[in-house]
Amino acid sequence: MNPLIHKKDSKIELTTQDQLRQYLTFQMDNEHLAVSILDVKEIIEINTITHVPMTPTYIRGVINLRGNVVPIIDLSARLGRKDSEISKRSCIVLVQVDYKDEIHLLGMLVDAVEEILEIPESNIMPPPDFGGDIRTDFIQAMGRVGDEFIILLNINNVLSIKELSQLKQMADYEGSDHANRETGDIAAK
Amino acid sequence: MMSDLNPALETFTQEVDELLTTMEDALLVLELTPDDVDCINSVFRAMHTIKGSAGLFGFDDVVAFTHEVETLLDKVRNSERQIDVELIAVLLACKDHTVQIIQHALSNENEPLPIALQQQSEALITQLTGSSPISKGMTSTQEKKTDHFVVDINSSDSCDNWIISLAFKQNALRNGMDPLSFIRYLQTLGKIIDVIVSMPTSLCMEELEPEDCFLNFKIAFSSAVDKKTIEEVFEFAEDDCDITILPPHSRQEHYLQLLEHFPEDQLKHLGEMLIEIGALTEKELDCVLREQRNEHKAIIKPVGEMLIAKNILQRPVIEQALIKQEAIKQKINKEANYIRVDAAKLGYLINLVGELVISDAAIRLMVEKHGLSDVNNVVGAMSHRVEEIRDTALQLRMVQIGETFTRFQRVVHDVSKELGKQIQLQITGGEAELDKTIVEKINDPLTHLVRNSLDHGIETPEERIQAGKPEKGIIQLNAYHDSGHIVIQISDDGKGIDSEKIVAKAISKGLLKPDQIVSQTDIYNLIFEPGLSTKEEASNLSGRGVGMDVVKRNIEALRGSVSVDSELGLGTTVTIYLPLTLAIIDGFMVEAQKERYIIPLNMVEECVEMSSTEWKIDHVQHYVNLRGQVLPYLRLGDFLHNNKKHQPTQRESLVVVRFGEEKAGFVVDELHGENQTVIKPLGMLFENLKGIGGATVLGSGDVALILDVQGLIQYAKKRVSPALALSMND
Amino acid sequence: MTAKVNDNGILQIAIHDEMTIYNAHSLKEMFLECCHSGTQELQVDLSAVTEIDSAGVQLLLLLKLEAQKHGFTLRLFRHSEAVIDVFELLKLSLYFGDPIVIHANWT
Repeated sequence: MNPLIHKKDSKIELTTQDQLRQYLTFQMDNEHLAVSILDVKEIIEINTITHVPMTPTYIRGVINLRGNVVPIIDLSARLGRKDSEISKRSCIVLVQVDYKDEIHLLGMLVDAVEEILEIPESNIMPPPDFGGDIRTDFIQAMGRVGDEFIILLNINNVLSIKELSQLKQMADYEGSDHANRETGDIAAK
Repeated sequence: MMSDLNPALETFTQEVDELLTTMEDALLVLELTPDDVDCINSVFRAMHTIKGSAGLFGFDDVVAFTHEVETLLDKVRNSERQIDVELIAVLLACKDHTVQIIQHALSNENEPLPIALQQQSEALITQLTGSSPISKGMTSTQEKKTDHFVVDINSSDSCDNWIISLAFKQNALRNGMDPLSFIRYLQTLGKIIDVIVSMPTSLCMEELEPEDCFLNFKIAFSSAVDKKTIEEVFEFAEDDCDITILPPHSRQEHYLQLLEHFPEDQLKHLGEMLIEIGALTEKELDCVLREQRNEHKAIIKPVGEMLIAKNILQRPVIEQALIKQEAIKQKINKEANYIRVDAAKLGYLINLVGELVISDAAIRLMVEKHGLSDVNNVVGAMSHRVEEIRDTALQLRMVQIGETFTRFQRVVHDVSKELGKQIQLQITGGEAELDKTIVEKINDPLTHLVRNSLDHGIETPEERIQAGKPEKGIIQLNAYHDSGHIVIQISDDGKGIDSEKIVAKAISKGLLKPDQIVSQTDIYNLIFEPGLSTKEEASNLSGRGVGMDVVKRNIEALRGSVSVDSELGLGTTVTIYLPLTLAIIDGFMVEAQKERYIIPLNMVEECVEMSSTEWKIDHVQHYVNLRGQVLPYLRLGDFLHNNKKHQPTQRESLVVVRFGEEKAGFVVDELHGENQTVIKPLGMLFENLKGIGGATVLGSGDVALILDVQGLIQYAKKRVSPALALSMND
Repeated sequence: MTAKVNDNGILQIAIHDEMTIYNAHSLKEMFLECCHSGTQELQVDLSAVTEIDSAGVQLLLLLKLEAQKHGFTLRLFRHSEAVIDVFELLKLSLYFGDPIVIHANWT
């Protein structure tokens, strides 16, 4: 029924050294971030995003991608920053994540896409244990480009469907009357 | 007469000795390897052959007894009965008993069995079957009627004999044939009841060439062997003799029965069918076919007619075979009208139709936008076709729910045995259709619910009698269509749900506050909460306290819902609502706060203007007095976007929706009318989202969300003002 | 094979041989003679028939037929074991209607 979900085995693994070291960099909340080019399916312009009610703000909505409905995650909001504002340069980075043995397509709303960088293996450092405001499990590694360090995101953690679909139940949207949800729906009646 | 039976009896005793020895050996092997098919078969063969031979000699008691053993062994062969050490012990006793009763039959020809032996027979049969024969006499008379291998030699009724006609050719004797030797040989296979020897009356001694043969024989022959075996007796005479073998009357019934159960998977020639059931031999068929070929085209006769004319087979057999052949022809023709299609291909087609529906909407939008009035008619006609294509495509995947229901007969049968309960399953509405993809997914939840009824619902026979109910409990599976949904009900006349127990349990689990007031319906629906099972001791079938919440989740994943109603002591009914399809529906598009939503059209009752001049509206309690009916409503825009400030438009509309017994109103800014809605799943990310059933792509290319009306109402009950929740519970 | 006419015009013959295809010709000639003898009754002694086959049976049957045509009575008597055996097999005793004496020691 859903052509968006492909069985894992249909994924073609590209493992050449060149590609392993290629990263797509983009801007988010005035910060430079990057993801491995292997995670990126395509980059698309922003058209209409349909808001999905009763969801946390990091779920920006859904779009129609060639007849399929794809959820859009506001990366800034997901990383705990403010909600993104759509500008002319805003883009959706389409990525694929694994969940329950299937591959799912998700759009990641970013402020602007910059370039594809080649970062040599020697310039890739482990993530710092603490310090930043971004959860450490979201960071795959740090890439040194010149004098600057760029955060290389772990897409499977940032866009973990398991986490995203669970979190939204406790989102601010649902308000205080559902704070006691843990004790069951009946109590709210 | 007696004397010439002696050699036959001697053969019989010898045969029996051998067979019973084989049987004993096989039984002992079976004790170690109960699955040895060859051994089971040889035990069966022993009893079967002894029964047949005993019947030939009129040893009714032997026939009656071995018949019972044979019946049981047949069950073992068909895996209906397990062979175990106990059964082997009984079968060994049966073998010994068979020796005794045969000895009795041989020494005291016509005397009935002594009481002791008779009782032993009955005892063994009881051990075998768990029930004794109604009476010994009954069994043996039934035996004669149903088993065609049994021939009563005391009866002179010649119509129950094979009729073998031998017309020897003139040169037969010269060729070294002696018809007498064949007839002598025939005697070894059975009993010759009568022979009619005839010769042409025109023959006279004077003209006779004594080495010529003019003899014709008609032999009434009684035997348990099959036609082919008889034919083989005359194998060497074939060239010098015309042979016809007409089966006995009882055989004829046997053939009719075989024809009745003839496999219907393949269309066969009449001859082939008759050979397969043993009524005709290949030689006979070849002969008839050769003759048919040689005949002139104009006077050619069908094989069946020729077989009757040549006295090879009786007319009823031929007629039955022709009827069966016709039935097979029709069945195969009917089957040929079906094509097996890969479900994936069908799914792809339905996806494509979905895209077509969207393209169609896009074209209509363009036509409207550019004011192409001359194109309008064409587009309108096309849209109509697209709708038909959509309906037809969806229909392709519709299947009846009956088959799913019927599978529960076995479950009910097995489980009720296991639980020591008496339960009958009643099925109604099996012809209701729904999408195959849904049928596949509903099986697990249904199984769980049925097992639940079996386990927790229906009481034991003693409990039922005590409660003044019939001993036998009833579980009902029912299905019917209701406003674009299929409703499936699982009811039982069992003990019902004890709401007090549930409340107590819920409080202990922290699901309810001790002083909380809840409606009866809400209490029953508590059983769908995780971790709630009222049965103190969980059985291995259903009651582990997991499951009912899973059932609910599975059903909701199908955009369906489930509710339960019960009356203590009288029974429980679980009602499942499911959409008919997961692919394309008729939708009704509304707009609220600049967002468009689709409401499934079949849930829309009516649309009215939301105006205080027309209806009395209570803005605080959120209900409207609609023609005297209190209708709770929710402002769709506010509800779905409650963190946004919104100015109501000048003219709002009220969409009245209905779900089952419940009604509610949605206040929206604009109505956009009906459209065909291709349901696109929202995916795992929105798995836990209530109130939104899916998404669709509009003609403009934008995505619109499909409202899950029931989910939304239930969610609203919990979220919005208590007044709404209360009024909706009424 | 011997033949004699006794006092009351009954023709009596005895067959001292087998009745098979090998001597069918001579048997036929003899039976034919008997038929044409104009006798009122033909008695055939079968006690010395050591063997009888289909050809022999055929001749006996035909003889019975001729007897009916020519209007004389055919009586078979003193059936040998071989004859009884075949008559039993083909249920012919009834057809010929002659009493068959079964010897006590016959099995």
